[in-house]
Amino acid sequence: MDEQKNGLNPFYEEFEVFSKKKEDGPLQYQFSLLAPNEEMAIVLAKENFFRREKAVDIWVVRRNAIRKLSQSEKESLKKLDKHYRETKGYADLNQRWRNFKEKQDNGTDEKKVEKA
Amino acid sequence: MLDHLTFDQLSEEQKYDHFMDRINRDEKIEADDWMPDDYRIALIRLISMHGISEIMGALPEKEWVPKAPTLHRKLAIMAKVQDEMGHGQLLLRVAEDLMKPLGKNRDNIMSDLFTKRLKFHNVFHMASPTWGDAAIIAWLVDGAAIMSQTMMLDTSYGPYGRALKRICQEESFHAKHGESLVLSLAEGTDRQKQMLQDALNRWWDALLMFFGPKSKQETGHTNVDKNIKYKLRTKTNEQLRQEFFTKYIPKIELIGLKVPDKTVRFDEESNTWHYQDPDWNEFKQIVSGNGPKSDDRIRLRQSSYENTEWVREALGHVKTAVV
Ligand SMILES: [Fe+2]
Ligand SMILES: [Fe+2]
Repeated sequence: MDEQKNGLNPFYEEFEVFSKKKEDGPLQYQFSLLAPNEEMAIVLAKENFFRREKAVDIWVVRRNAIRKLSQSEKESLKKLDKHYRETKGYADLNQRWRNFKEKQDNGTDEKKVEKA
Repeated sequence: MLDHLTFDQLSEEQKYDHFMDRINRDEKIEADDWMPDDYRIALIRLISMHGISEIMGALPEKEWVPKAPTLHRKLAIMAKVQDEMGHGQLLLRVAEDLMKPLGKNRDNIMSDLFTKRLKFHNVFHMASPTWGDAAIIAWLVDGAAIMSQTMMLDTSYGPYGRALKRICQEESFHAKHGESLVLSLAEGTDRQKQMLQDALNRWWDALLMFFGPKSKQETGHTNVDKNIKYKLRTKTNEQLRQEFFTKYIPKIELIGLKVPDKTVRFDEESNTWHYQDPDWNEFKQIVSGNGPKSDDRIRLRQSSYENTEWVREALGHVKTAVV
């Protein structure tokens, strides 16, 4: 017990809990909990997060099995401009088409003027 | 600033500026993100106090589980007590992740509670001698708690915000449960009405204290300014107390109860409630662990922690056996 008192809970590990509300729905992150093993993690997940909420499936994952992004990596994601992959990255096209159209219309007007 | 440097290459000051930029842009800070010590300490103080208050808060109501007047009421109050313990679990988890870099964990939270270093809300130091108290707690103490928790839903610390979201969903059941208890007594016999009025009288000052002092003047210090700067909260103690009056005083009067403060009145001109301040010295005494029930409740919490130590130990052995 001494270990537990001054260490970082050697037998209480951190688990992350995920669940599905509907059969065809996405798996959703719920929260984390401390448990001594996977079986207890499932029991505690039900107890902590699903007293009312519906779930068709529950996953528990040891936190140390998860590779997350570091803050540097997260910051670098923010910098990426991926507009070129989406239609909204091309919002200027209409105006540019319109410019050509106007030029064409003006051109015919000028000719008309010349003829007259 | 980050255009040519990666985050790790920033100096401490640059990291702080970057952090404050994130706060000002309303980004959410996550457990592994860089944060100033100041912010971490403020969060640990706030969240461990909140978490332990949920757990200590279950105790005055738990006393009424065996004595609830009907089976339906017993089931409902049991569910509420269980929810409050669940809220404690969520919040202590959030606090633990913040304390981890300081080499601390849940055991430190518990021992700080037992030695009275960790404070919990003033209301949970009070006695709940009648079923009327159970009603007033669920209606008004939970009502007050809902106001301060809703105010923090948008907090800058992501994990706290997510915990509060779950908590607030369950609190809406607590509020209905409380209303139902109060209405039943208010519709009842004269003795029942009197029981409710007596409970309100007992709880009024504690309810005003719940929101905390208006400013430093009342108790010598407050963390409100810092918490607002870091966007942990958005309203002051007094703003919340005023909202509480606006929401509940008309309802209290509607069901025939009297607010036990003759000076209470709404001033149209300044758009504020005037009221008799509670004794803030008494407040300080209570939250320091010298309230009417402080020692009993802490002793109860401690003995149940010690009595279940064998369970935690046994579960530890299961793991070593399996691995
Ligand atoms: Fe709660
Ligand atoms: Fe509650």
